[in-house]
Amino acid sequence: MTIQKEFELFIGPNHPGATGNMSYHIWVEGDKVKKAETRVGYLHRGFEKLMEKRIWMQNVPLVCRICVPEPDVNEASYSMAVEDLMGWEIPERAKYIRTIILEMARISAHLLTVGGIAASLGIYTAAQWGIGDRDYLLDVFEQITGGRVYHIYIWPGGVRWDLPKNTKELLTKVLDYLESRLPLYDDLIMNNKVFVRRAADVGVVPKDKAVEWGVTGPNLRAAGYEYDVRKLEPYAAYDKIDFEIPHYPKLGEYEVLSEGSDIYTRTAIRMLEIQQSIKIIRQALKDMPEGDVLLKHPQWFAWKVPAGYAYSHVESSKGEFGYFVVSDGEKKPVRVHVRGPSYTHGINVMETIAPGLNVADFAPTAISLDVCPPDIER
Amino acid sequence: MMAKELFPEAQEIRKGRIRIETQKDKVGEIIKKLKDNSYEHFVMLSCVDWIKEGKFELVYQMWSYQYKEHVMISIKINRDGESMLSMRHLFPQIETYEREIHEMFGVNFIGNPNLKEFILEGWPHMPPMRKDFDTEKFVKDFYYKIPEVKEE
Repeated sequence: MTIQKEFELFIGPNHPGATGNMSYHIWVEGDKVKKAETRVGYLHRGFEKLMEKRIWMQNVPLVCRICVPEPDVNEASYSMAVEDLMGWEIPERAKYIRTIILEMARISAHLLTVGGIAASLGIYTAAQWGIGDRDYLLDVFEQITGGRVYHIYIWPGGVRWDLPKNTKELLTKVLDYLESRLPLYDDLIMNNKVFVRRAADVGVVPKDKAVEWGVTGPNLRAAGYEYDVRKLEPYAAYDKIDFEIPHYPKLGEYEVLSEGSDIYTRTAIRMLEIQQSIKIIRQALKDMPEGDVLLKHPQWFAWKVPAGYAYSHVESSKGEFGYFVVSDGEKKPVRVHVRGPSYTHGINVMETIAPGLNVADFAPTAISLDVCPPDIER
Repeated sequence: MMAKELFPEAQEIRKGRIRIETQKDKVGEIIKKLKDNSYEHFVMLSCVDWIKEGKFELVYQMWSYQYKEHVMISIKINRDGESMLSMRHLFPQIETYEREIHEMFGVNFIGNPNLKEFILEGWPHMPPMRKDFDTEKFVKDFYYKIPEVKEE
């Protein structure tokens, strides 16, 4: 009888470690992962091809569908690319509203991810909490935009309409509530001995390779770089707002337990970013000027975007989200290419750091990189 | 050194956005030089189909955290089967971008051993991101017709 040493395992397309419809094909020997391959294609809807067939404005309700947990980054990034080509400067009030919307989206995405990471290590309560608390933000989104999941609120030229009158009260109430919840998340996750032992020093992205591998966002900051598009190339109203970029080893109230960019640090960075986002929204609500929220531009059926190339990027909860847009001066784009942060995190980075992991650590590692498959296959 | 000092042909299309038009044999050298000069983040590799010219445009995009500048290195190759050398030795993630462009546009990258199926599965038709691939016609032919029954 021959003994089979290697064993093939399929993680996903429906698994706590594979967020959304993607899968990892892994080869294990005992409980050690030998090799991993990312399999995508379950979610390909051909957005980039569809965008070439539609007029510029028709693409706005399309792009948000590229990321379900955080759709607003797509609208913002696409709108910014179009504004770049058009040479538009959006009204000041719209910039503040965009900031508020983008930060609300960041908190709601982070709550989902932090809950997901904890759940993959057996703390299922955290996932329920994350989804539950996120819902209060979705309520506010519904009040502002009319939609809970997809908002279609950020448009080229500003935002679709002004904030309803009671937004400040609604949002302040939700932010106060979320802030009161954060210490409980700390008790449940960050100070949990099981979590600390399972998460520290596991699934490490080496610092000296992080930039070269194209790692961005919280995963890069957990490795020790203070890089954030909001500071590097401020968009919306971020240049007027005072906030910090949490990065390793400045982990605030959290203990520094490892060399950086392991599951623990990546979770800590996300928790700290939620605090910062709350701070940003409060400031934006306070400083927001009165005025128009949308440019008075030509009727949107008639838009002809000047020929040229544009690349605009925003800091999403997952990393750098960018839109490369090419126009030939006509009513439809020639090419729209989406740069999703998961493209590098989910494929090259994951395939490289997976060998050597314990099979039980594979799912937490995958989810702590915060991979969102739709931005891989668009 | 910043991209404009390194390459005199580089043009600034707007603040923080540089475009370099070049030939395909110079791409490797340019990417390497930029990488050594703190353009250390490879953002993405895009392909644009200019069907009227009969060309594919490959756009290698890089970012410098130090200079806060985005560089697009642009080359054009013939649409009908011209190959390009793989650049995956410079940044590992280029391998995946090349794999996708090979699948979606049909561009061959010499030296990339990993040009296997990526997003599409069992796709015998024309690479779908090419401009001459008509999505509507494909859907009508493929899904709206009852296939003819042939004798076994």
